[in-house]
Amino acid sequence: MTAVLPWLTLFVCVAMTAVRVPSAIRGQNRTMFFLFALLSVDILLSIREPYLAVDAVLGGINLANLLLRFLLYGTFLLLGVRTAAAFGSPAGMRAIRGPLGIAVLAVVTVLTAWIFFSMDTRGSTTGLSGLSQTPALESYAALGRLYPGYVAACLLPGIWQAVRGSGPALLRLASGTLFLGFCLLLLSQGFPLVPESAAWLRPAINYSAALASALGLGGIWLSKSLARRRSHG
Amino acid sequence: MSLPSKAFQRWLHGVAPGVSTSDVCRASGVKRTTLAQQMVRGKVAESSLVLISRALELNPVSALASFDSYADLRGTPVAPTDAELISQIASMDLLRAVIARNDPGAPQLFELAAVPHETSVRNWVEAIDDGELRHRVSHATGIAPQNFSAHLTANRMPPELAIATAREAGVGPAGGLIASGLVSEEEAGWPIGARRAALDRLGTADLVSLAGDRLQALGKSLHRQEHERDRTERIWENLG
Repeated sequence: MTAVLPWLTLFVCVAMTAVRVPSAIRGQNRTMFFLFALLSVDILLSIREPYLAVDAVLGGINLANLLLRFLLYGTFLLLGVRTAAAFGSPAGMRAIRGPLGIAVLAVVTVLTAWIFFSMDTRGSTTGLSGLSQTPALESYAALGRLYPGYVAACLLPGIWQAVRGSGPALLRLASGTLFLGFCLLLLSQGFPLVPESAAWLRPAINYSAALASALGLGGIWLSKSLARRRSHG
Repeated sequence: MSLPSKAFQRWLHGVAPGVSTSDVCRASGVKRTTLAQQMVRGKVAESSLVLISRALELNPVSALASFDSYADLRGTPVAPTDAELISQIASMDLLRAVIARNDPGAPQLFELAAVPHETSVRNWVEAIDDGELRHRVSHATGIAPQNFSAHLTANRMPPELAIATAREAGVGPAGGLIASGLVSEEEAGWPIGARRAALDRLGTADLVSLAGDRLQALGKSLHRQEHERDRTERIWENLG
């Protein structure tokens, strides 16, 4: 199950990217195309084999992990801005794109890089799991979860309104799936509390969050396409 | 909120002895699988009973009345109040009536749209509400006030709730069944042309105020719909 989940998530993200190619060529909503492409790269870089290959090129000191962190921050900035605009939450928009949101992102980014370079990160290992578990590594991992969690927290109220509203059923279902994905991101803040015997829970939650978010976004796209097709006869 | 299968079977056997279930379904348009499922679960929907009694050329209101939970429907039909009759006239027909009264050149004779109209359930409840009705219904049936409101907004009402509402309001038991579209005016014993007669009895001032109230409610609901549509469009615009 936990072995299949990453590949399934990757497959979904790549499929979503591919689906968006035609409209991206027409110039419609290219941001979403880039978002899904970014998400696909994120997932790819978090899977063992591609990670090791990329990291080997970057010198084998796990620079690929730092790259993945930065890509994830970018992904969530883009996703956050788009989702806040979509669900019409001005407060969420301010919290992500306003001074506070940018400050949070900047602090998280600088701290992430600083901690990374202060550690001995030799020896390619996915998710840095092969390195000795020091407090520095713990805080590095916590920072990586913090920004996505922050963005998710800003967006949840707006999405919930759409789930409870009276829009098309598929749109509400998709919004609910996106809501679930963001809830999982919040849940992931509690990873240090997960006992070692249940360590499998962490990747399971991470990939489920990514999968639910991607499926939610895909569902929103599908509901739009279906509605447009219906209205054009 | 439905009829027990045992009682339903007894009723069906009584009114159509020797007729197979599949024949009943074919004649009434009730799906066989649907009816079978309702029987298995022990709850036959009132709408199935209505369709079947129509197919058997029986009065659906009398058929309902033969079940204990619908005992209120037994006996001679209670005449509807004028307020109830007017509540079952579509808002657009009320507006037509306003124009007809105030402009002799406008068409004076127009056909009233059939019951139920788009807000018939809410208008019926408003017509029989003395201000405490929802409270009493909620107390008597245990339904939460917000669920009662949800029914009004969706323009539907489960038959048993309709009966209970009429009972608490002290009006004829069938009004809610008509407003929710389960049975027709004729089936419930409302005299033919009663709505038109009630409209003619309504004074012009009252008619204009009532039409105004209906327009205001319509405006509110259209605003809500537009708001919801805008919200949907914005999601699609940004994420679709």
